[in-house]
Amino acid sequence: MSRFAELAAATNFSFLRGASHPHEMVATALALGHVGIGIADRNSVAGVVRAWVALREATDRLAATGKAPIEFKLAAGARLVFADATPDIVAYPATRHGWGRLTRLLTVGNRRARKGDCLLTIDDLFDHLDDLLLIVMPGQCPHDTLDRLRTGARGRVWLGQTMLRQGRDQRQLAERAGLAGEYGLPLIAVNDALFATAEQRSLHDILTCISEGTTVHAAGRMLAANAERHLKSHAEMARLFADAPEAIDETSRLLARIEFSLDQLRYEYPHEPTPTGYTPQAWLETLTLAKARTRWPSGIPDAVMKLLDHEFSLIGQANYAAYFLTVHGLVAFAQDKGILCQGRGSAANSMVCFILGITAVDPAKHKLLFARFISTERREPPDIDVDFEHERREIVMQHVYERYGRHRAAIAATVIHYRPRSAVREVGKALGLTEEVTSRLNSTVWGSFADRHDRERVVETGFDPEAPEIARLTEFVGQIMKFPRHLSQHVGGFVLTDDRLDETVPIHNGAMPDRTFIEWDKDDIDALGLMKVDVLALGMLTCINKAFALIATHIGKQYTLDNVPDDAADVFDMLCAGDSIGVFQVESRAQINMLPRMRPREFYDLVIEVAIVRPGPIQGDMVHPYMRRRQGLEQPDYPSPAPPHDPNELSDLLGRTLGVPLFQEQAMKLAIVAANFSAVEANQLRRAMATFRSVGTMDQLEVKLVGGMVARGYDADFAQRCYKQIEGFGSYGFPESHALAFARLVWISSYLKCRYPAVFAAALLNSQPMGFYAPAQIVADAADHGVEIRSIDVNASAWDNQLEAVGDGFALRLGFRQITGFRQVWADAIVAAQPVATIEQLARRANIPRRGLDLLADADAYRSLGLDRRAALWEARRTPAKALPLFAAAEAAELGVEAAITLPAMTLGEQVAADYQTTRLSLKAHPMTFARAGFADEKVSTCAATTATPDGQRVRTAGVVLTRQRPGKGNAIFITLEDETGITNVVIWARLFEQYRRATMAARLLLIEGVVQRSPEGVVHLMASRIVDRSAELDRLSADYTPTLPESRGLEPLHPGYPQTHGHPRNLRILPPSRDFH
Amino acid sequence: MRVVAVSPAAAGRGLIGLTLADARVREPDLITVKHDPIADAALLEWLADDCERYSPTVAVDPPAGIVIDVTGCRSCDSQGKLPEAVSRRFAQHGITAATSEANTVDAAAALARCAGGATVSALPIIALRIDAMTRIALRRAGLVTIGALAAIPRAQLAARFGEHVPTLLARLFGEVDAPLTPRRPPPAIAVEHRFADPVAVTAAILRTLDKLVRSAATMLEQSGAGGRRFETTLFRSDGHVARLAIDTAGPTRDPHVIARLIAERIAALSDPLDPGFGYDLIRFAVFHTEPLDALQLALDGGGIADQQVAALIDRLTTRLGSGRIRRLARGDSHIPEQASFDLPTIVKQVWPMAERGEPPLRPLSLLVPPQRIEVMAAVPDGPPLWFRWRRIRHDVGRVEGPERFAAEWWRRPDGRGLTRDYYRVEDENGRRFWVFRHGQYGVEQAHPNWYLHGLFP
Repeated sequence: MSRFAELAAATNFSFLRGASHPHEMVATALALGHVGIGIADRNSVAGVVRAWVALREATDRLAATGKAPIEFKLAAGARLVFADATPDIVAYPATRHGWGRLTRLLTVGNRRARKGDCLLTIDDLFDHLDDLLLIVMPGQCPHDTLDRLRTGARGRVWLGQTMLRQGRDQRQLAERAGLAGEYGLPLIAVNDALFATAEQRSLHDILTCISEGTTVHAAGRMLAANAERHLKSHAEMARLFADAPEAIDETSRLLARIEFSLDQLRYEYPHEPTPTGYTPQAWLETLTLAKARTRWPSGIPDAVMKLLDHEFSLIGQANYAAYFLTVHGLVAFAQDKGILCQGRGSAANSMVCFILGITAVDPAKHKLLFARFISTERREPPDIDVDFEHERREIVMQHVYERYGRHRAAIAATVIHYRPRSAVREVGKALGLTEEVTSRLNSTVWGSFADRHDRERVVETGFDPEAPEIARLTEFVGQIMKFPRHLSQHVGGFVLTDDRLDETVPIHNGAMPDRTFIEWDKDDIDALGLMKVDVLALGMLTCINKAFALIATHIGKQYTLDNVPDDAADVFDMLCAGDSIGVFQVESRAQINMLPRMRPREFYDLVIEVAIVRPGPIQGDMVHPYMRRRQGLEQPDYPSPAPPHDPNELSDLLGRTLGVPLFQEQAMKLAIVAANFSAVEANQLRRAMATFRSVGTMDQLEVKLVGGMVARGYDADFAQRCYKQIEGFGSYGFPESHALAFARLVWISSYLKCRYPAVFAAALLNSQPMGFYAPAQIVADAADHGVEIRSIDVNASAWDNQLEAVGDGFALRLGFRQITGFRQVWADAIVAAQPVATIEQLARRANIPRRGLDLLADADAYRSLGLDRRAALWEARRTPAKALPLFAAAEAAELGVEAAITLPAMTLGEQVAADYQTTRLSLKAHPMTFARAGFADEKVSTCAATTATPDGQRVRTAGVVLTRQRPGKGNAIFITLEDETGITNVVIWARLFEQYRRATMAARLLLIEGVVQRSPEGVVHLMASRIVDRSAELDRLSADYTPTLPESRGLEPLHPGYPQTHGHPRNLRILPPSRDFH
Repeated sequence: MRVVAVSPAAAGRGLIGLTLADARVREPDLITVKHDPIADAALLEWLADDCERYSPTVAVDPPAGIVIDVTGCRSCDSQGKLPEAVSRRFAQHGITAATSEANTVDAAAALARCAGGATVSALPIIALRIDAMTRIALRRAGLVTIGALAAIPRAQLAARFGEHVPTLLARLFGEVDAPLTPRRPPPAIAVEHRFADPVAVTAAILRTLDKLVRSAATMLEQSGAGGRRFETTLFRSDGHVARLAIDTAGPTRDPHVIARLIAERIAALSDPLDPGFGYDLIRFAVFHTEPLDALQLALDGGGIADQQVAALIDRLTTRLGSGRIRRLARGDSHIPEQASFDLPTIVKQVWPMAERGEPPLRPLSLLVPPQRIEVMAAVPDGPPLWFRWRRIRHDVGRVEGPERFAAEWWRRPDGRGLTRDYYRVEDENGRRFWVFRHGQYGVEQAHPNWYLHGLFP
């Protein structure tokens, strides 16, 4: 007996319409005993891969239990929604060719519309009719359309009919049956499902409200009248279609016509880089050997040759040559344009990549074996991410489009999900809660990294979690949290094909001009086995390139990523001292604290340093064992399996890291070697790690891993820790192959910082935004290293920060780019106009508008004109926007001489406040200086004094908050305070934090009382026991502060209610900008 | 929710502008009252009414200011001590008022706002009503007080901060006139009587009023005009102000006519005049005057139906009371009994036309509440086969449906509620009913009840 299959099932990739995940749809259809399901989202195939993966996993699970496979067919298609009067048509490709037609059709619609939209007309469908099975959904369909469909797609058109209990169903069914008879088209039963089960109706109502921008209370008849649009059982569908049973049978008939499955999307790599007459493999070998010969003109060393031969055979076996050539093409282009770049990833650590210039890490020197990173049996796609300078990456991306064409190259999508903040805000709005309530609920979510919205958070905000509205909100937020919201483009993952990409997947316009991206994200691409090249942006490369350029101009040395010496004791000394502000990767507080314990003395130490301060090793509790062994407090031991197995199987794997697994590859290998995972299982593990969403599979893997290791005779505790670490990698896995590439940049940036501090600071400031620290810290750090800092001045500065020679060294002249809101065109014009004698002259010659003049005055940049900030402001404000032509021609001063007036002198405190407000740094004084007298009376010690305090003593210290971090499991919160004498690192345990959450998260200036803890390496932490928000001290500096005024009705509040608590620490503002800067 | 105002005890603790939750963190014992701007505005108006005893030209300065123009008012208690008098009077109402008197509206307001300033010059510039941007720019320039600002040549200020800064200063120092928008237009004629002691006897009040009407009539006669609108204002000593206005179709100045109209007006009051502790001031004012001999304008011919309906509704409303005349409006809900409701006033509503050839899905009127019926139907979701209503059995001949409405989950604390399946049924005698099953069989209810919700004609 033929059974029902729902052939018009939408998923939540029909944004704000479908209320179920693709996997829920598939699971429910399976549970109902349907013979298949047709996934058709609105003008999109974004959800079909996920549905397909869900079905594959369900089949795998079934196979694992040894049950007979089920007969279930997934039809992947799309619901075509037209911009003209045509009713929706659901289209399923019957063949691979049909799939290509469908994706091209959708591409036509996408490219025609703005981002996120798809404009289709019925004529577009007629242009792409081949091999498509079509269901015309209910609605008035123009007769000529039906006629054309009937003839154009003979035998491939069905009339869909729903029975949604809307009162007139039977009458409409009868009419539809009449129409079907008239045109000779079969009637097919669909339920037009928007969600899997009837319970999801309320969620669907919420989605409707979000999309209509209304509340459930006001939405009225915009909401569905009932919950009928879910997947229904065969029995219920049969009852509903009792008058037309053949419509039910038709579903199986349609399914049987579909031969296409997503497995058939075979992938061909572009062969562009290969000249004719060569195979990609041959060309790769030729190219590599030619380059090797230039590198070693006197003959390629034997060791290198051996390595190359081995790698060539591996690449040949896996058929990766074309991939290497493509990456080489990109890198060669960038190098040609003088754009710094570096590859990283499993395939990047090869001699081939080193010789081709893809990486600067010499595998021979660092004893890296390519085979360690690549495994032929697992058939993983090769992985090379290439980092480019962040300011010039776009050039490379456009080159990719140009070289391969937009029909063959596009960026992968990133599915933007609802995050806790957006979910709370939008669901709250839909439920009719006010903005105040939702922003309140959001106020304590930690940064943007929290992925849960839980009870405790609600309690903390003072709301009753049991109150129906709040409980409802929490429930819906939980449901909507992982919902896709829209598609966006991946940061730089390109998918390239040999023939038309739009016959594999629909292509969309990006939000940025000149960008196109495909509809699938990296998980989908992975699942289908497509390959991609990541073209990523890295700020540090910009910085390094700028530093190299400055050195070349001012000092005359030519550096490249390759030729920076890779051994220098003074640089390692600097790192050992934890002096690493601004250095790539190891500049965070946690890293700075780790450096003195780690005491790096060679390159590989940096590789470990990069990887160790990560959630993976921390959660796996691998850091302390490693450090103890490194410091010689403990002997490295390699856990061994029971006798029949090789007792040394782990010493090869874990030797470099003293027996402690620190890298992702080690964890993976561990599973294969120690727990006897098959290649397929290891792949599952990798997938589960990458997408931690399939929670169920992870539990099974835990049993398997721990069980497997124990069965082979390993210690249960060790096995458990290994699992924990793999779990930690799930959120932030860090592979050795990437750490290696990063470590090279760590080294180069350390080298620059150590040997050329002024150059490094200038390059770092000129590459902002990047890195971890705000300009004030970078400048203060440079000053600490003996660099003279000169202030911004209209007669000396340029847009960029510059070097000015002093004696045999350099001073750093701050540039106009440090002024918040200043523009580069103004800066360039000023440079052209220098020198100037008056503000008016500046305004005329450089054509600077009033706002620019005001900003310069606020930044105190007119000192060379003999004007201090206040006088300059007074003068700037009267300079009119446009010169009268006559005066302009004569270059005469248009402004008359005014009667001299005396403005009150600005206090130093006001000056510093204004400095911070305009440039976020002050060369005049630290804001804490002004609060010092008061703090001294309160017996508050300076940061320097705190650092000098012996272990175990109680102190009180205060400072402005530089960073707040809550790493890993969040047991502790790290806060960095700064005052005029230095910094203090504060540790707040989670329990205390709960008590002082508000102060901890919101304060800009904190007073901490606590006990000093000094590690053997001399790292000092202040363990907080009491926390006081003293931000008001900062406001006292500012001229905006008027403490004597009584508060009263009718006056605006003097302070903004609550400072922003999230965002990157480098964007932190110690003093909020005055309102006149907006 | 944010804190917008605080009591004197909580002032100075920096609570204004904070969110309520933040304020509670700082002051756990905070007692809060919901901010009601409408009530605040009403209170301000009430106070302004009371202030009209000092001068007919009173303006409100929201959210919390009142401006009284006492130019040429001889009627104050004592000219020199007016601010104190107002403060005292407000204190009796339980209101703390900061009052001051100055030659210009701006100066008086500035002084009052920054209580304690002796002279305008000593006030901080926040007292000047300028936008936040200019204010910050002035502070950046180090100009903290109005005195410091005034010392700068005006031309220099205008060149830097715009014309409005010198203008504000000029207004502050009375160099130009500040516009004042009084709450009500100044009357053409106003006469008033102030009692030495509050008077509570109605007869005495009417007598005084009579006198005032006659003197106003005399003044009208002198100017050859008649009034169209007359207003009597009774100021009670406790601050209550009663206003009785009468409009006449044509200009009049006959004191008898006016007095009779006033008497009728008083008699028609729904809550009669309550002198309480007595009135201490009565004012009679004529607002709209016209030359008395002017002809009444002819009505333009041909009334419009709408206007006639409106006029009818006006008359009926006047006779039957407001809110008695109602009109059906469409409710935006799937639930039948919420799909329409009646409104007291006339709201234009366009009802959708029924589709041609489609029978109505719902009856014109509903049974409230729906009536229980006994039904035989196939489970789980079959239509009724027969049903019993008021002890009479109806065998169903034809049926259409169901039309299913799920409950409005957001209105229920538990988020549930029963689904209804509506059927249009016709019995063997051709009578048509609208019945529904309340609850899905086996899912929401073990044995759902059935109801009759309406009858089709």
